[in-house]
Amino acid sequence: MAADITSPVAMRARKKRRDDNGSLTVGRSRAGTIVANTVGIVFGVLMLFPVYWVLNTAFKPADEVLALEPGFWPSNPTFDNFISAFKAPLFLQDMLNGVVITLFAVAGALVVGFLGALAIARFSFYGRKAIILVVLVVQLVPFLALLIPLFLMLQNVNLGFTTLNLTDSLIGVSITYLVLILPYTVWTLRGFISGIPRELDEAAMIDGCTRAQVFWRIILPLTGPGLVATSVYGFIQAWNEFIIINTLNSPDKQNLMAWLLQNQTTRGTAWGPLMAGAIITSIPVVIFFLIIQRNIATGLTAGAVKG
Amino acid sequence: MKRKIAAVAAIAATLLGAAACGSNSDDDAPTTSASGKVDGAGKTLKVWLMVDAQSAWKPVVDDASKRFTDATGAQVNVEYQQWANHLTKLDATLAGSDVPDVVELGNTEFPKYVFSGAFGAVNPGDYENSSSWLQGLKGACDFEGKTYCVPYYAGARVLIYRTDLFKAAGIAEAPKTYDEFLSDADKLQAASKSNAKFGAVYMPGQYWYAAMSWVKSTGGDIAKQEGDKWVGQLSQPSSIEGLQRWVDMAKKYSKADPTKNENDQANTFAQGTAAMFYGNAWEQGAAEEVKKDPNNPDSPMVPTKVKGKLAAAPMPEVPSFLGGSNLGITEKSQQKELAAQWIKAFTDSKSMAGLVKANALPNATSLLDQAATDNKTIAPAALAAKNSWFPPNAEKWADVEKSAVLQTMLTDILTGKKSVADGAKWADDQINSTLNES
Amino acid sequence: MSVVDSPATRRPRDPGGPQQNRVPGHAAPRRRKRNSGLVPWLLALPALLFIAGLLGYPLIRMLVLSFQNMRLRELISGRTPPWVGFDQYTRVLSDGVFWGVVGRTVAFTVVSVLISVVCGLGIALLMRRVSHGVRLFMIIAMMFVWALPQLVAAQIFRWMTDSDFGVVNYLIDLLPGVNYQNHSWFVNPWQGWSVITTLVVWAGIPFLAITLNAGLTQVPKELLEAATVDGATPWQSLRNIILPILKPLLMIVTTLSVIWNFGLFTQAWVLRDGHPEPQFQTLATYSYTQAFGQARYSLGSAIAVITVLLMFGVMVFYIRQMFRIGEVD
Repeated sequence: MAADITSPVAMRARKKRRDDNGSLTVGRSRAGTIVANTVGIVFGVLMLFPVYWVLNTAFKPADEVLALEPGFWPSNPTFDNFISAFKAPLFLQDMLNGVVITLFAVAGALVVGFLGALAIARFSFYGRKAIILVVLVVQLVPFLALLIPLFLMLQNVNLGFTTLNLTDSLIGVSITYLVLILPYTVWTLRGFISGIPRELDEAAMIDGCTRAQVFWRIILPLTGPGLVATSVYGFIQAWNEFIIINTLNSPDKQNLMAWLLQNQTTRGTAWGPLMAGAIITSIPVVIFFLIIQRNIATGLTAGAVKG
Repeated sequence: MKRKIAAVAAIAATLLGAAACGSNSDDDAPTTSASGKVDGAGKTLKVWLMVDAQSAWKPVVDDASKRFTDATGAQVNVEYQQWANHLTKLDATLAGSDVPDVVELGNTEFPKYVFSGAFGAVNPGDYENSSSWLQGLKGACDFEGKTYCVPYYAGARVLIYRTDLFKAAGIAEAPKTYDEFLSDADKLQAASKSNAKFGAVYMPGQYWYAAMSWVKSTGGDIAKQEGDKWVGQLSQPSSIEGLQRWVDMAKKYSKADPTKNENDQANTFAQGTAAMFYGNAWEQGAAEEVKKDPNNPDSPMVPTKVKGKLAAAPMPEVPSFLGGSNLGITEKSQQKELAAQWIKAFTDSKSMAGLVKANALPNATSLLDQAATDNKTIAPAALAAKNSWFPPNAEKWADVEKSAVLQTMLTDILTGKKSVADGAKWADDQINSTLNES
Repeated sequence: MSVVDSPATRRPRDPGGPQQNRVPGHAAPRRRKRNSGLVPWLLALPALLFIAGLLGYPLIRMLVLSFQNMRLRELISGRTPPWVGFDQYTRVLSDGVFWGVVGRTVAFTVVSVLISVVCGLGIALLMRRVSHGVRLFMIIAMMFVWALPQLVAAQIFRWMTDSDFGVVNYLIDLLPGVNYQNHSWFVNPWQGWSVITTLVVWAGIPFLAITLNAGLTQVPKELLEAATVDGATPWQSLRNIILPILKPLLMIVTTLSVIWNFGLFTQAWVLRDGHPEPQFQTLATYSYTQAFGQARYSLGSAIAVITVLLMFGVMVFYIRQMFRIGEVD
């Protein structure tokens, strides 16, 4: 897995080394490399320290967690904290909710956002500027300030023919998250689509493709890495949100973040299970990263810099 | 397009304030009765309790609900809320139409909601022991001659101390006077001089329930009503004296974080670095043993370092803050009668006995003595509850709590950032502007 | 993450290819001019409906609210709150506390973004310099940090800086002559804010470093080689070659960092245990506390509106830039 994470980068690096001058810094001395490696390792260790501390805490039995002299290794490692989290009321339920909500929000935002991005990247029409402005400006709005209007609105969604109450439901919160990540998604995908030369569209049209086929056969596949790179942001946003969901939904329809909050009661914080829960909460993100890691790098380089 | 038009219409309607559900709460709201029989077959009552009920006395909740269901035929759906942001959630929910029927709030949180018309009036006579409900709880329910909530449980704070350390320092029994408390602290501190982390008293800096108890001990007060205005009293000489007393004590004997509140104090005290702390009755138990699995209410208990070494006594000369919770029936509830029935079951003597077993104090003075005999752990607290105080019964008091005015002031005066007089003056200004805001 | 954006799209499509300028009015062929008709609107419609419905409506509601005086009573009863014109705004803008919060938020944003971006760039450069294995290690470390949810990260830092059980105090206390036992990190606002800033920078570096590193791989090495031959120092190469090429990307990641850090909420909220003291309030927590803690929903809305305007003021440059890019291609 580790090798995979970087593969595009790594491959490039290897190639460069063969070329004997892959480095961006000049004068690649051996001493310089040793210094750089040392700094790099120290940096990595510092970054990992809090992560290590979570693991360390999560595997300690309760009496070791609250020790005045913190132990740097659990002397009696235990899975109790993890078992406790898994057996805790609603943990699995909320985990499942979180996965469902996040996938729905991300997938929805990608579909809707892709269409919107197509419009502003490939067409010139009256109102395009206004759409761009809206997409940019709504990213600046602090969502928490919208909590009450949002709640009132979701409680009474008027579709014309019927009214729905979308609070305390997975669908309401999923749609909210979808919208939360939509402006960013539109904007980012717009950049990717613009990066695809129009000559391709035109060539395809000459070959007899309809415009819909151009979108479907040419632009969509070429935007693939961009879709993935964009989804990372959406995934993280949707997975991490807890204030909106905690306000909209009852505990059995919340996500893991909201569940984690519950470990802070008036009866003291249960740090062990909290940290174990934290690890479990992070796992889906790690898995997601692993699945798409190849695309993160290609997506970033393709969309962000090259162009 | 049709959808869009509908949406525009909906927006316009809301903006113009064409709120159909706008009932006029200035009308004399009818009082909900809990007497007689109510047929609730096919209905479900929605109840919001705080997590404490789930973690400490879930069987009591289940039993009351079962009796309620047997009597009325209605089901109960209890949702446990977290203290962290339950008020935000409540605000948003009360603004809508689909509201819980019964809501638990802390007693100091109640006045804000009662004054704002969130809860319906109840008839105290319908509930068991209502004639001797604890004033600290009931006070929060009173508004213009009516009662808007039902006392649920209470907590009073006591001195919890290490018997072994007392013995080692040559102290025979719990202090009887405040001076004795201080001289005991001196002795305890001297006996553990070698331990750099040791402080005779564990007193976190933002523990405002404690600090205000000290204020009360010298005859001070937080705020009082003069005419129709509230006037902060912390900068009055008697209050300053109490604050100074608290600061002197905390500075000299406590190693606790001046920016922490009391939430973790039992856990920290269990590490053995302090000889005394000021806590709720149940915190003695919480310090002596912890659940092996904190997420499981039925988990076996694990003893801590201080297991069997703790005792409790009333804090000498310091009146206790009476904390606790009440239950209210929401004004928007469609099944107020049923809600009243459930509260009646959940606050009757049988339920109260269950709470006592879980180290909570019952809601009425008439039950306190019985509680003290039934459960030795809470005996000192039951005694302390009789000499207790509670914060100003002002509409906006909860806002003072929420804005962390007292907490900030305490940290400031404890760390020397402000003098006691300056801190008190600042807090008074904040309290005045918050409580008197229209 | 993801800054996949676009100033860069102005540059040549295939690296090494001929410079093909796409600045409007220049050589850019206006191929988009087709009989577009309804198609673009149909494509954009779902996105617009979602934004209008779930963001637009609450936004308008928020705006309206800021001209009223809604308190708990009105919220519950559903009655229209009294209209108060600009009273909420005058109240906010004439409040010294508010300006203190604004100043603090801005200062924090500037400092934290600066540190994050400089560190991120440094790490990205470092990654181009270290051996393969070390780079791998760095990336894995950053991936793990990246994967930690914000709430979790904040709780870890709260736990590590706990005055009684925190490992940070323990480690510092090991230094000779230093007594950090029971040290409280939040008495002194400078110390408290350095904890918060460390947390924000730590959590922000992976995104920045990995993105910038991806950008650095695109710097044509021929250019660097030529520069070296001409006797350029590494510093000169960085300033004159790498940074100009990286500039569009740097601008985007900086802007995103500004937006994120300006809206700081979770970290301050968790580290201060849900009740930030005045010296730890930022615009986001302040608006939230005013609205929900104090039941001053209208005041909270006014603060939020002002926040958006402030952000807009800060970002107007960025938005104009982006707008122009959006225009172009």
